[in-house]
Amino acid sequence: MKNLWRIARWEFSTRIRTRSFLFNTFISPLLFTAIITLPIYFFQYQGEVSTKLIGVIDLSGQGLERELQSELNRSYRLENRSPEYMILNISLKNSQRYNQLLDDFRDIQSRTDSITILFEQIRDQRAQYFRNPNLPNRENLLRTSYDRLQYVREEKELVEIEQRRFKAALDSLYKHEAKRMADSLLINNVLDAYLVFPPNFLKDGRIQYHSKNPGDFRETDRFEKILQRIYTEKQILNDRIERSRIGRWLQPIEVTKFQLFREGQKEWNFFIQFYGPVIGVFLLFMAIFTAGGYIFSSVLMEKSNRVIEVLLSYANSQQIMGGKILGFGFLGLLQILIWFALTALFISLNIIPIQKIAYLNLTNALYFMLYFLLGFLFYGSIFITVGALSANEYDAQQINQFLRTVAIFPVLLSLIVLADPNSQLIRMLSYIPFLTPSFMIMRIPLSSASIIMDIYITTVIMIGSIILVIFAAGRIFRMATLMQGKKISWSELLRWIRLSS
Amino acid sequence: MNNNLLEVQEVSKSFQDTVVLDKLSFSVQGGETFGLLGPNGAGKTTMMRMIMNILRPDEGNILFNGQLRRKTKGLHFGYLPEERGLYPRARVLDMLIYLGSLNNLSRHKAQVEAIRYLDKLGMIEFTHSRVSQLSKGMQQKIQFIAAFLHNPDVLVLDEPFAGLDPINQIVLRDILEDYKKNKKILIISTHQMELAEKLCNHICLINQSKVILDGTISTIKKRFRENAFFIEADQPMGFLHDFKEINILEENNNAYKFTLTSRQFSLNDLLARLKGKVKIKKFEVVEPSLHDIFIKLIQEQAKSV
Repeated sequence: MKNLWRIARWEFSTRIRTRSFLFNTFISPLLFTAIITLPIYFFQYQGEVSTKLIGVIDLSGQGLERELQSELNRSYRLENRSPEYMILNISLKNSQRYNQLLDDFRDIQSRTDSITILFEQIRDQRAQYFRNPNLPNRENLLRTSYDRLQYVREEKELVEIEQRRFKAALDSLYKHEAKRMADSLLINNVLDAYLVFPPNFLKDGRIQYHSKNPGDFRETDRFEKILQRIYTEKQILNDRIERSRIGRWLQPIEVTKFQLFREGQKEWNFFIQFYGPVIGVFLLFMAIFTAGGYIFSSVLMEKSNRVIEVLLSYANSQQIMGGKILGFGFLGLLQILIWFALTALFISLNIIPIQKIAYLNLTNALYFMLYFLLGFLFYGSIFITVGALSANEYDAQQINQFLRTVAIFPVLLSLIVLADPNSQLIRMLSYIPFLTPSFMIMRIPLSSASIIMDIYITTVIMIGSIILVIFAAGRIFRMATLMQGKKISWSELLRWIRLSS
Repeated sequence: MNNNLLEVQEVSKSFQDTVVLDKLSFSVQGGETFGLLGPNGAGKTTMMRMIMNILRPDEGNILFNGQLRRKTKGLHFGYLPEERGLYPRARVLDMLIYLGSLNNLSRHKAQVEAIRYLDKLGMIEFTHSRVSQLSKGMQQKIQFIAAFLHNPDVLVLDEPFAGLDPINQIVLRDILEDYKKNKKILIISTHQMELAEKLCNHICLINQSKVILDGTISTIKKRFRENAFFIEADQPMGFLHDFKEINILEENNNAYKFTLTSRQFSLNDLLARLKGKVKIKKFEVVEPSLHDIFIKLIQEQAKSV
């Protein structure tokens, strides 16, 4: 029994002074947290440094850019109160092709105008003829004027067709040229984005948003909201309703989310409430795998340089295994306590706002320790076995990598856990010992219902599995460590587990 | 000091289908240097692991002072495995204290002993160095210290002198002599026969999982003595071939190895005949070397199989 403590002490004291432990304890959690939280921070609190220029190509002819500008000004302003967005109407004053076509179009338009005037003159004249029965040669005048009217009408129809055709060509050229121009402005970073309103925007409400990064949900979300309002407003105005009433109707709403806990309600913030537990899982994972990795490399080293033979002649295999688990377990606990202390320090320095982070409480800290211990004992015993069985470092690293992937798998499902931490699937998955610690650490702060039952169940499952794994490890360890440079077959492994010596 | 006794009785061990040891028996007295000899793969390491209770025999018993080995408590071992390894990143003294404390030495006592031995082996200035900074020979000395720092009841050394320079070999032999004075069990395993011959007074030769030779060096040598003699003169002695009473086994320049074929013919008669003919430079009874016995026995066994 004394040797168990001596081995534990040795493993603890030799490892605590290594650079890798210091790195894993102080640097990597900060890196992890930074990697996860910095993008969110930038996403949320990005201080707008300059006004953004948004292009508009309006083919609907509704003068939407003015309304867009005023709505944007109302909702979004920079810290210095100047507008966050400036709307730029994409004009084609400088496009030769368009101006050429526009000239042609204007010709046609003036022709249409003059022919319309002519048509109306003839019609008026003919009406006079018609009203005056005493006009000499009336019959003849009426007939010839009718012929002229007919002729002019046909002419007018032809011109109108041509005008429509020209208009369509002009619109399409306008759209094409305007887009080309907007694209080049976008590429040269003059514009941040541009919007295209198609001719029948008011009918079907379709809009195009062009940007270098349409994945910027924050931006697209804002435009969608504003444009929806403009669209609705236009539609209501078309129904001849007073403008003053519309403003009230279109008042934007704001939703504050609360989560109901047994002890009361708390305001819900997606990023804090969601990423908090995910960071928790990462830390748990790191604590387990740092300590587990040490166990593993220590067994592997002792096996490969034969120190294990000396150890086995001085202490029995249970003492060696137990000593390692104990020593590295304490190391892991120390690591966690350091993290708790750091968190407390950050809270007291107001770097982490305590009132916002409800899950940073003592109960959850205790659960964290519980699942660390269970996870560590489980994975640690597996690592001892793997280390003992591996013929070389390469094989061992592969198994190690596989176990890491399995253990971090719950993070991939974190969004499902967030949606419903107590769904059937998630509950079932958290009963699998390999996944239990990660899932439970996410579920405990996320679940609003009590999951104390699941905590009991998983703890029992974990303890059972740990006993099983330690039993098998004990059987395998001594034989496997004495083997050298030989791959051990499954049948041999099973034989060792069945026989005791 | 009571005299310790380690007995191995008909011990067998097999791994799956391979029989490693087959009804092996021998005993080791405290105070003697016991050599466990045999070619590679003979089962020496398995035997030693069983003595240290790392493995258990399939059949047979190992007794320490008449008590079953696996039931004896508080017995301390010193072990120097053939393939040497230490904690490369640990500091010399820390590691020696650790290994000593695993054998129930108090940390203070372990430190004192470690420093004492480091000094004895001329390594005192490396007390706080990391193991990986030491040369191979120095690491070996550290391992020696680790093996007998705690004054074990049973000391097992696998190929102890491989890679050591002559000066350190002498220092180590002195330490081993001291150790033997306490009538404790000392087992050396080697396949270097010259070394075994110099160091051991009791050997056991295993080959193909069986004991093929067991006894003290002197009785073994007596047993394998061929009654052969060696003579060397200042000039060739071709006329020896004409003597009917002797049988020449080997000849080399002016030296001859021979046996006497007639009981009536004594060495005095031979010397009388040689008188005046040649000047005798060397004349001795040929002792068989352990090396020769080893090879002879193993070859015989190979033939008989």
